[in-house]
Amino acid sequence: MRRSDLGEFEEVVLLAVAVLVPKAYSVMIAEELERETGQTVSTGAVHAALQRLEQKGYVTSVMGEATAERGGRRKRLFTVSALGGRVLTEVRSVRNRLWERIVPPTLLEWS
Amino acid sequence: MPTETPKPHRQTAPRWADRLLSWLVAPHLREEVLGDLHERYQLRAKRLGAAKARQRYWRDVLAYVRPAFIKRQPTVGMPHHRRFGEYPSTSIFSLDMLQNYLTIAWRNLRNQPFLSFLNIFGLALGLASCLLITLYVVDELTYDRFHEKADRIYRINVDATFGGTEQSLTQVGDAMGATLKKDYPQVEEFVRFYGVNESKIVRKGNESIDERRSVYADPTLFDVFTLPALFGNTKTALNAPNSVVITESTARNYFGTPDVVGKTLEVNKALYTVTAVIHDIPQNSHFHFDFIFSMKNVKYDWGNYLTSNFQTYVVLKEGVDYKAFNRNFSQIIEKYLFPQAKQKMQITSAKDFNRGGNRLVFSLFPLTDIHLRSDRRDELDVNGNIQFVSIFSAIALFVLLIACVNFMNLSTARSAKRAKEVGIRKAMGTNRKALIGQFLAESTLTVTLSLLLALGLTALIMPFFNELAAKTLSVNRLFALPILPFLLVLPIVVGFVAGSYPAFFLSGFNPIAVLKGTIGSGLRKSNFRNALVVFQFATSVILMIGTLIVYRQLNYIQTKNLGFNKEQILIIDGTHALGSNVEAFKNELLTLPGVTAGTLSGFLPVSSSQRNGRTFSKEPVTAADNMIDTQNWTVDYDYIGTMGMKMVKGRNFSKDFGSDASAVVINESMAHLLGFANPIGQKIYAGANGASTPLTIIGVVKDFNYESLRKNIGPLVFSLGQSTALASFRVNTQNLPNLLKQVESVWQKMPAGVQFRYRFMDEAFDTMYRAEQRVGQISLTFAGLAILIASLGLFGLATYMAEQRTKEIGIRKVLGAGTTGIVTLLSRDFLKLVLIAILIASPVAWYVMNRWLQDFAYKISIEWWIFALAGLLSIGIALVTVSFQSIKAALMNPVKSLRSE
Repeated sequence: MRRSDLGEFEEVVLLAVAVLVPKAYSVMIAEELERETGQTVSTGAVHAALQRLEQKGYVTSVMGEATAERGGRRKRLFTVSALGGRVLTEVRSVRNRLWERIVPPTLLEWS
Repeated sequence: MPTETPKPHRQTAPRWADRLLSWLVAPHLREEVLGDLHERYQLRAKRLGAAKARQRYWRDVLAYVRPAFIKRQPTVGMPHHRRFGEYPSTSIFSLDMLQNYLTIAWRNLRNQPFLSFLNIFGLALGLASCLLITLYVVDELTYDRFHEKADRIYRINVDATFGGTEQSLTQVGDAMGATLKKDYPQVEEFVRFYGVNESKIVRKGNESIDERRSVYADPTLFDVFTLPALFGNTKTALNAPNSVVITESTARNYFGTPDVVGKTLEVNKALYTVTAVIHDIPQNSHFHFDFIFSMKNVKYDWGNYLTSNFQTYVVLKEGVDYKAFNRNFSQIIEKYLFPQAKQKMQITSAKDFNRGGNRLVFSLFPLTDIHLRSDRRDELDVNGNIQFVSIFSAIALFVLLIACVNFMNLSTARSAKRAKEVGIRKAMGTNRKALIGQFLAESTLTVTLSLLLALGLTALIMPFFNELAAKTLSVNRLFALPILPFLLVLPIVVGFVAGSYPAFFLSGFNPIAVLKGTIGSGLRKSNFRNALVVFQFATSVILMIGTLIVYRQLNYIQTKNLGFNKEQILIIDGTHALGSNVEAFKNELLTLPGVTAGTLSGFLPVSSSQRNGRTFSKEPVTAADNMIDTQNWTVDYDYIGTMGMKMVKGRNFSKDFGSDASAVVINESMAHLLGFANPIGQKIYAGANGASTPLTIIGVVKDFNYESLRKNIGPLVFSLGQSTALASFRVNTQNLPNLLKQVESVWQKMPAGVQFRYRFMDEAFDTMYRAEQRVGQISLTFAGLAILIASLGLFGLATYMAEQRTKEIGIRKVLGAGTTGIVTLLSRDFLKLVLIAILIASPVAWYVMNRWLQDFAYKISIEWWIFALAGLLSIGIALVTVSFQSIKAALMNPVKSLRSE
């Protein structure tokens, strides 16, 4: 799997999908990311990332039920595919390996 | 999610945002996108309140403006995207279709290169003319707007009537400005100009240069006008006497560098210190001075309200209405002018003054209107004319319209070729909107191409146009603020205007009829297209008639009997520098062969010579009802003879009579105003100063034009005396260059120290009408262009018509029709249109030109043959254009035309 296939935002969105399953759809993901990062995240950006992830085969989607606050429109629910799960673990292990190799005093401490 | 009732917020999501999105976002994504947005909105509304939520909503909506959402689902797409998708809708947003439109547009242009060229080139010509004229008009309209206080600066004008003479002046008494500032808090500041464009002899090394662009001004000049300093401090620059402010290029000219503050200049043998150097005054200013001297150097009988010698400008405070302010002037007249008039003349009250039709009206005149709307005595520069600006704007618009009509005509005509394309597109499921969009996009594309070509053409023509219009315009100004938005919108607007008819016309085809091939006959006869041709030719004919009349009027002015002979008179400038040697100079020149007469006088019946207004009266005591405001010119014995003026009564000044120092020669107009049965021997009195000496009228000279022919001839009085600013000589020689060389060598012998400068009176006379000549030439050029463009269109149309009727012509020929018959057949329709155009154009042209001629005191009458000539010309042009194609069609071999298909 080529590393460039997963952008930083895509990675976060993919993680969020994994966290929120089975209620992972754009609004929930955007809200979740806003809560976690403290920055505003638009559904448009999330939706676009989800589309890319779906094209790459990391997530799959089905149309969910309609609700009143959506004006009777259905939502698109996402789940992480097997391939997506593998990519996430891979990314994580790369990170972990690198983290473990950092000699403690060289890491900048933010107070 | 729906744990509680979100109803209260339901309707508050911005409708417009939704509307925008449903139009923008691809149909298969609409449901989830809108749903997401609304849900998020409800969440936010609960958390942050409706206002914040709405704000965020818009930002969220904009986040969907990206290709991933806009791009429509491909017909063969991924299966999970086909939720709505049994009938994918075509849309103008489909990239594939856009690509297809562009390809087709480009192929169409390439398929008929000649017609495309006609189309694009004709439109480019029209656009280029329009751009040039726009530049011109914008330049004229932006005069004097560079001053920061431009909209609060006003000049004080006076309109005065004394003894039957009306005068419109730009100058007032010296005390007026200060009085206004003192008495009226609305007046923020004032500045006066004195001695505008007086000749100044400035020393540069060993040379002396006669400088004309000079003025005396108050120190407040720089508080009123925005003339930024390059060096020195303009706040104090004109405070002290003998200080002068010069422009950057003058500084470079005299010192080689602009940093010359503190250096001295010798002006008229006195030393002046340069106290500041200002940037060159912009070209679109109504005054252009190179030297600004301190007002302290002016010797004047200060405190005078009655003699008008100062151009005075005031700055009104913010928000003051100048028209309302004008009412204050009657108070000023009561309070200051009449007391002074009482001392000097026998006028005691306004009533007394107004007796005999006298009138004195002061008014403020907006600075920004001076260039285009003011034509008074002693304007600081040759002004423009709002009339010309509107004439040119109209011409530009018409040329552009003609070009657009061309475009429409050619596109519609060519549409027959595209009828099949339309039919197939429709059969394949295109709707009418998409077709209209396609054709409009195509015409916008063509217009953009034309615009690019037009920009090139504009840059190419610019130097010639500048010469024609006496401007220094640059193409760069097209890309600056007032014009740039216009330029960007232009292709879209013109594309829509020019493309609208073909677009709506073509898209309305019935696909069955088109594919069957029965649409051709309907296309041929189009009343709308005929109307367009009529419009084009009517416009061209109006322009042609207008141009002819302007030319005839100019010719009339230049060859009219003026009352003096302007040919072969050599004028030598700056002769006052010769001092007492001036008589010797004149006498020496008279000995040269080829010089037949000569006179010394600064007063000449052409512009850029002196003028001197003076009041005369029939009685020794001046009263309001016996004053006549005249021009009083100081001349010598030889003046009337040299100028070729005719005496009507009495005699000229003569050395044989000792008493001629107190004698005057008057013109017919003055004699008429005086009303003597026999003016010879009668006495008149120079008014205003109390101690008036009687002057005897010894002769009456035939009226001659000394102002522009727009005006009637005013009263004039010649007095004998010394006036040496100019010397004029009547010359009669085959070898003019040689004579000029001789004159110059005589000049060099004299201790003048000023360079030799001469001009000819007929040229000086022509400069008085340069504005009209320019308008004549410009309108001639653009009328020519208009006709050229219209002919291009007609040519294209004729080509198309001949093509359409190929089979008909073939059959006619087989049945025995002759070439003449076929040419007539093909040309007749067009000629009919041109005739109608002439009928419509003539009365319009007559009306417009008649109004233009009202401006001239001396004018031609509009004769019928002008209309006939213009009509014949346009018929001729149309005939030549059309017959080329019709003859070609008539000569074609019928076998060829009938065999096809």
